[in-house]
Amino acid sequence: MQLSDDDKAMLDGSQGEARRLAMDGLVQLGRAFGAEDMVSIGYAHIHAGMAMYLHDVELMEELAARGATMAVPASVNIANADTVNWQQTGAPEKLARLQQRAASAQNKMGASCSFTCTPYWAGHWPTWNTHMTSIESTVTVFCNSVLGAKSNRDGFFAVYAGITGRYPRFGYHLDTNRVGTHRVRVETTPTTVSDFSCLGFHVGRLVGEGVPVFEGFTRRPTLDELDALGAALATSGGVALFIVPGVTPPYASVEQAFAGKIPRESITAAPRDIATVYDEFCSAKDGHFDLVHLGCPHASLEEMKSYAGLLAGKRIADGVELWVTTSRAVRNEALAAGLVATLEAAGAKIISDTCPISCHFARSASPDPKLGVVPPPLRAIVVESAKQAKYVRDMIRCDTLLTGTAEAVETALTGRFVPRRPA
Amino acid sequence: MTRTIQGRGIVRGTAAGPALVCREPISFLGDLDITTGTIIGRLPSAAGQSVKGTVLIFPLTMGSAGAWRFLFQLYKHGTHPVALVTREPPDPSVVQGAILANIPMVCEPQEDVIATIVNGTPVEVDGGSGVIRLGA
Repeated sequence: MQLSDDDKAMLDGSQGEARRLAMDGLVQLGRAFGAEDMVSIGYAHIHAGMAMYLHDVELMEELAARGATMAVPASVNIANADTVNWQQTGAPEKLARLQQRAASAQNKMGASCSFTCTPYWAGHWPTWNTHMTSIESTVTVFCNSVLGAKSNRDGFFAVYAGITGRYPRFGYHLDTNRVGTHRVRVETTPTTVSDFSCLGFHVGRLVGEGVPVFEGFTRRPTLDELDALGAALATSGGVALFIVPGVTPPYASVEQAFAGKIPRESITAAPRDIATVYDEFCSAKDGHFDLVHLGCPHASLEEMKSYAGLLAGKRIADGVELWVTTSRAVRNEALAAGLVATLEAAGAKIISDTCPISCHFARSASPDPKLGVVPPPLRAIVVESAKQAKYVRDMIRCDTLLTGTAEAVETALTGRFVPRRPA
Repeated sequence: MTRTIQGRGIVRGTAAGPALVCREPISFLGDLDITTGTIIGRLPSAAGQSVKGTVLIFPLTMGSAGAWRFLFQLYKHGTHPVALVTREPPDPSVVQGAILANIPMVCEPQEDVIATIVNGTPVEVDGGSGVIRLGA
């Protein structure tokens, strides 16, 4: 593997212990995947240090103590507690205090402590051809497919890339891999972000780690719809890049998306495929639910506006819990715009830094027993995202009721589950 | 009586332990109980066994990009396998978890280790050279 003089200086420790450790890990990773050299990255979306996992916050504190700093602009992924309003979620204070320590470590390292799965709505907007890295697969797929940046689906090493500003050149950092594999004929008209989420979930299952190329949208999907589509593709499959010709830079046409090659496979997405995903995630047959959730991935300001529009002047039913999850940055914008007041007047809780699957509800986590985390006995959660639905099932291990955003709000207002109404 | 099998060294370091062979792909998110290392997923060939202290030999990893975190959690709980051998090429997330947890890893061995290695066989793995040594 060809290393630059600067890479070698990091590797031999002359730039400090943190950079040595980070570069050593990146070189091993690069060799494992046959990378010829390293690329310079322009952005990193990094691990938070998660309070629901043993010694995980400490992992970030140790790096900060070793002198690690971010060599490039960096945002921080979703965390395990709302670090300001944790009482609203019923989280133990010890958990929230531990999560706050991660924020201190991130600030020390110079990362923007965004604690969100949608840093782009918080202003982290990498542009075309920017090499980058992300620990969150939703961020990887959005930045690759909507913004034209170049990112792999990464794990902890997004932190090491942030510390060094370098990443081994393999996977989606090579243009030869940024080529369509599957042709997707969209034979349905998704009209809501939830429809796009179900479309993505259907296609992700069929294409696995492929690169689907979408044809047949009757209009250009909105940014929120593209976000929902990508998040679901990255959840049911291992998709890192999807291509909508005319939308995804630099692909102007289907032919260009396949680079003159024959697609591996052609698949279709029909109305019944979308309906099947909704049905599959309506597992609470008695319709009972404990919580209604909006904002997966973390809501954009446009989504906050749409929730406020649906809830303005109304009040959710007695005994219903309604969570809206968004980043702290978007929450602050929504606060300034009066949207938080509207939502709270209707009875909604606005939660930041975390979400149902990322908070103390998760049974798949492994917190330090000293924190006193006891997941509440939830039976079912109403969701508007197929990504959230899958992880509610797998991590919280309770039932789900998947529906559209408007129907989820109606559910909260009436106290009765409203299934999705097809357009 | 020892013999060696050559593979591709992925994560450097050496470790030794009894072999645990799992014939099915493993998802580190969900298939393992972190606090005990017990296999709780639907993996008929190894269900109920503990990966703790073993050289875990399996075809490939499935699923989440968060696999690294669960491997690291096994390590933090002291329930991790001491080395990993996979038949297929490596998965980036698992490689990152193995480096973070100092667990040597070898991939793509030159013989079908899943068919030929018996559970409990003493195995030594050198993740630098890619050498797997059987029967210490």
